[in-house]
Amino acid sequence: MRVGRGPVLHLEEHEAGLLRQLVDETRTLLEAGVPRADPVIARLFPDAYDDPEDAQSYHDMVGDELRKEKVRSLAAVSESMGPAGRADVELNDELVTARLAWLTDVRLAVGTRLGVTEEKMGAEIDPASPEAPAYEVLHWLGWIQESIIERIGPLGGGRSEED
Amino acid sequence: MSIAPDTIEEITNDEATDLERPWLVIVWNDPINLMSYVTWVFQKLFGYSFEKATQLMLDVHHKGKAVVSSGPREKAELDCYRLHAHGLWARLTKSD
Repeated sequence: MRVGRGPVLHLEEHEAGLLRQLVDETRTLLEAGVPRADPVIARLFPDAYDDPEDAQSYHDMVGDELRKEKVRSLAAVSESMGPAGRADVELNDELVTARLAWLTDVRLAVGTRLGVTEEKMGAEIDPASPEAPAYEVLHWLGWIQESIIERIGPLGGGRSEED
Repeated sequence: MSIAPDTIEEITNDEATDLERPWLVIVWNDPINLMSYVTWVFQKLFGYSFEKATQLMLDVHHKGKAVVSSGPREKAELDCYRLHAHGLWARLTKSD
């Protein structure tokens, strides 16, 4: 993998393959009707209120739209990479939000399954650990995210005070 | 000098407080999301400057949470939804 001079991230076949696999896994997770008791679903669809009734009303109101929005993001990412082979990831195009949001969903899913903490995220991972591959994926996806955000730069919004 | 009795002023204030007490949109710290990503989301969703967004991100990171927007319930819920759509851990609470 390398970042060229242009705004494109070139992914080798095995790297693009891993992203395609993660797209499929995320899609399955989102469409399988996994119950909210699952920690990953609870993290991807957080409670908006402390009060359980208010929290449930919020889920009833927006939960399905939130799920569809996440599926739309991953579908856009999937389409942009094509079905096989190497892939180029544009670092700043109209799909930038979908890419960043989808990368976040995958990182949240992987990280929540691992039960990561700030300490674990910052620590060296023992390559012999059974969790090492998942941590590698987590950090690699983070690296892609950083590359995209770095390319975007500050958005130049002017609001410094809240309404 | 005011000619209005004090009691009326008090009642008005109480009513206003009850109706207009805004909902706060709070983002909580999580160990997974990148600092740069959280800063980008605050800029994108709320139009905050890079500096303001960075300060809010640092508040989330160091203090565990930050109020990122506020307003009537419908607006606060929409902001919360947009944060959830971007994977941030947001929750609503009524201001004191």
